[in-house]
Amino acid sequence: MLIDQIYIMILGCAVVTFIPRLLPAVLMGKIKFNRKVEKFLDLIPYTALAALIVPGVLTVDNQLWYIGLIGAVVAAVLSWKKVPLGAIVILTVIVLISVYSVVPLL
Amino acid sequence: MGYIPMGIGYAALAIKAGLSPIQTVSFSVLVYAGAGEIIAVTMLASNATIIAIILTNFVVNLRYMVMNTCVYNKATKTSLLLNVLSAHLVTDESFALFSLMEESSIWFYIGLALISWLSWIFGAIIGVLVLDLLPIVVTNSFNISLYALFVAILVPSIKENKKIGLLVAITAIINVVLQFVIGNWSLIVSTLVGALIGMEIIDDDYLLNDNDGVEC
Repeated sequence: MLIDQIYIMILGCAVVTFIPRLLPAVLMGKIKFNRKVEKFLDLIPYTALAALIVPGVLTVDNQLWYIGLIGAVVAAVLSWKKVPLGAIVILTVIVLISVYSVVPLL
Repeated sequence: MGYIPMGIGYAALAIKAGLSPIQTVSFSVLVYAGAGEIIAVTMLASNATIIAIILTNFVVNLRYMVMNTCVYNKATKTSLLLNVLSAHLVTDESFALFSLMEESSIWFYIGLALISWLSWIFGAIIGVLVLDLLPIVVTNSFNISLYALFVAILVPSIKENKKIGLLVAITAIINVVLQFVIGNWSLIVSTLVGALIGMEIIDDDYLLNDNDGVEC
């Protein structure tokens, strides 16, 4: 039952993601958004990311909530210092592995 | 490519949420939307309904319509067939890179976007193959990778425009509060409510004229 539901989820998400991608490709520049709609759509990534990060980041480790918080702070500091995206991802993972190695001592 | 470690991070979350290795990889092949995929598996892990997951994906991925409009307005040497075949490959990164480049050939875009897509899939494959073999602390550490990406995408905008920071904080608070009321629907609702609030507090000029220097 659960397996079937996961396949429905995969196909459903694939369809609803592909349709908005396909429309402009077929219409080739015939779409013009009015400024209000465009602004609303432009804002969605920011608000979606905000809602994704909080409170989800605190459950990166189900037992230790601060692990995710440390990771988020490390990523924020690196990004503030203009480190490239790929490097931020890798460095944050490395920092967390190091944090885990000292956790039992805390 | 940052896409490979991120793909591994996504695989870690997907497996944790109960997807099989095949499902984990096919999700990346068929949906190819980092944020959308991670939302889906995170919601699944907290027992959200399939309908809520699909609707949330629709809303979060609607932005690709705007991005592809820009891509196909800019691209040269296009045909309907090439457009349809490449439509699936747009992401925040491929769109941003192509928009900022002088090169405008559709072939160039397809090359760039295809490499990103394959890296994302490759990351998921590595993830499902190696995560089982790794100690749990390493797996947990990879769980942070997509959050690290999300934070890293937001921070430069916040640095540039403090009102974006305010909007992010408001949306985060709405999401936390709503979770107690409507559970997993809070993600989609707070995203939409946040964007509506943003219509009021963010200046038009910041988004519409200074969006990565992209005009479409």
